[in-house]
Amino acid sequence: MEKKSGGNKPAGSAMNRRVLLQNSVKAGAVALIPLVDSSCTTKLPPPVIVTTPLGTDNDRTLAAVADRIVPADELGPGASAAGVVHYINHSLAEWNQAELPVLSKGLADINEVAIVRHAYEFSALTAEQQDTILTELEAGQLAKVANGAVLFNRLLRLTLEGMFSDPYYGGNAGYAGWDLIGYPGAVLASTPDMQKMRVRLPMLHTSGHGAEHDGH
Amino acid sequence: MAINLPETDVVVVGLGAAGGVAVLPLAWAGLKVIGLEAGTWMNPGQDYKPDEIHNNVRSLVTTGNKVANEVPTFRTAPDQVARQQPRHPMMNAVGGTSIHYHAQSWRLNPWDFKVKSATIERYGAAFLPEGSTVEDWPLRYEDLEPFYDHIEYEVGVSGKAGNIQGKLDSSGNIFEGARKREYPMPPLRSCDFVDHMTQAARSLGYHPYRGPAAINSQPYQGRPGCAFHGWCDRGGCHIRAKSSTDVTTIPRAVATGNLKVVDNANVRRIETDNTGKATGVTYLRDGKEYFQPARAVLLGTYAYENIRLLLLSQSTFHPNGLGNNRGQVGKHHFGHWDIQAGVAVSALFPFDLNIWYGAIAQGVMVDDWADDNFDHKSLGFIGGSSLHAYTEKHPIGAASMGSFGKVQKRWGSEWKRFIAENAGRWTTAYIQTNTFPYNNNWADLDPNVRDPFGDPVLRITAGPKVNEPKAASYAAGKMIEWFRAAGATDVTGGQGGTGPALSTHAHGGTRMGLDPNTSVTNAFGFVHDCPNLGVIGGSVMGTAGARNPTQTIQALAWRTAEQLIRTLRRA
Repeated sequence: MEKKSGGNKPAGSAMNRRVLLQNSVKAGAVALIPLVDSSCTTKLPPPVIVTTPLGTDNDRTLAAVADRIVPADELGPGASAAGVVHYINHSLAEWNQAELPVLSKGLADINEVAIVRHAYEFSALTAEQQDTILTELEAGQLAKVANGAVLFNRLLRLTLEGMFSDPYYGGNAGYAGWDLIGYPGAVLASTPDMQKMRVRLPMLHTSGHGAEHDGH
Repeated sequence: MAINLPETDVVVVGLGAAGGVAVLPLAWAGLKVIGLEAGTWMNPGQDYKPDEIHNNVRSLVTTGNKVANEVPTFRTAPDQVARQQPRHPMMNAVGGTSIHYHAQSWRLNPWDFKVKSATIERYGAAFLPEGSTVEDWPLRYEDLEPFYDHIEYEVGVSGKAGNIQGKLDSSGNIFEGARKREYPMPPLRSCDFVDHMTQAARSLGYHPYRGPAAINSQPYQGRPGCAFHGWCDRGGCHIRAKSSTDVTTIPRAVATGNLKVVDNANVRRIETDNTGKATGVTYLRDGKEYFQPARAVLLGTYAYENIRLLLLSQSTFHPNGLGNNRGQVGKHHFGHWDIQAGVAVSALFPFDLNIWYGAIAQGVMVDDWADDNFDHKSLGFIGGSSLHAYTEKHPIGAASMGSFGKVQKRWGSEWKRFIAENAGRWTTAYIQTNTFPYNNNWADLDPNVRDPFGDPVLRITAGPKVNEPKAASYAAGKMIEWFRAAGATDVTGGQGGTGPALSTHAHGGTRMGLDPNTSVTNAFGFVHDCPNLGVIGGSVMGTAGARNPTQTIQALAWRTAEQLIRTLRRA
């Protein structure tokens, strides 16, 4: 999981770059992820500072929510093990900063529902208890959560982004998401063989940002 | 005070699909041209990535600062307050939206130019859609054919002709208008899925053909052939195989020494003198205001901004906006998507399609239910839709598939098993519908929402339509049959669609016509009461074909430029 880091830059550097780091809650592992210049004309040196925009409490809730959306099973790892929390924090630190307040509050609200209902935080509930809360959230039926259906849709969407995006952004770790659906990998050119029907194509495990960003 | 610059022959506002083409004949003719572009040059090797987050989530190849600050408001009835839309994917850059479009590069059907008279002739006047303001174009397909030919050869279009000088060839589109000669390049490479869909269409008696693409299928004019990496949609081409104007016509115009590209130029007004003639344009660059005088102005931004700039450019002679003395600017405006004609048809197959790679333009098309290619007598609508089956699927999009009624939830273990099996086994057809102008569809300045300079943004009003949804639903039924014939086990959709929205295929608003009471520009695209101001772009088109408009926009731009050359030489 370790990424080489270097060229540490102070927070709030010229490009207003943030930081990113997420401690994969369940594994307790730490991974630095490379930062992307939002204009994508230059690559900045890898990072830097360690904060999670959502905070560790929300990270825990988010990991549990994402793991109900994409559960671990015989088909492969669940969302959090595939780096989805990592991806979402990355997006919130970078291009999706505007959504941070709503998501933070939403996750705290979900946790609050769990505590009121079961006296345990959301991440400590059984899968059945979690599913019940999420199903009610999806239907907009949790009185405590304003715009619950919208919140659920965003959590679902961000989880899918984290699960199936290029591993460059911190999700889809080890190409778990692409392996699941049979997407071979990002390439700069395809051959006719790579467009053959009725076969499962061999997995290439390639990032669109080059070999140095492959795998996590 | 604006800084006065030396006069030039022609100033072109916007160097996208339209302006980027118009500059080439002007420069070839020896005219001195200044091209003002709100964005700047992209660097294909660096700025484009095979990455769904980059292209489709962060929209890094689909937005510019200027367009993001002036996204139109939208409403579906005049008694509603129009709401500003979150974004609109038109690009500010040298090359504009031709950088990230699908590059499907069609000629319109000859019928599209004469919808009104041809409908009256075949079905009677009562058959015209109620409330429609449709008129024949002031030119015919045959008038535009030489310019379509210029675009195919000078921009670079791959395809297979279906009608060369009246001789039909069923490996091309037999419904197309007669063309002088074959495309300069063969169609894009096919693939298993495209071949399979082609056979299925033939089994039904349809007439499938490989749609034309402004993408090199082989090396052409110093650029390589397509690599089919599957990131054409909302992404630029990393190897310059897509014939966007920043890698085709614009560099060649620059090479003549007659085109000067001024990037990061935000054009605020078109200036006129007391006879109503255009004198040049005022723009901002790096915080300074400049006046660029010119003998003629070509307005070549997106349809929305073409309309807005005219409405904002008020003067004594043009008190209601440039070219608007008869109240026609913004009228007869419509888009493929602000008319709720979109219908989505999705299909699930019992085997892996492997359409991850390729390109949207790598597909197979059916025109049997487009335009007036079939008898409408018993159907109660005019026009129709083209049907397009294609490749290029991205992993997040694929995993976000609909359930096809096979799973209850959009998440959880059962859903995970479902997408693991099926994310690579489904696809959606691209269905585009002939669309017409109506009384309840127009653009004007929004009374409430302004850009950062304090200028009103454009407001789109798009009321409900009857004809187009009928036509689209009818064609969607044929698409469903086509998918079933290809072996799809489940097919969904065919009704409704996504509802009215801003359109990347916006048409009209500065319509071409012979009558100044029902149009803004003349048969060559010049404003009726400002004859040295030409308008290029979808805003001059009076009808929308059942297909992407770009090649028609480019052919019209070339034709307008040639007319301008004649005019300036006479002067």
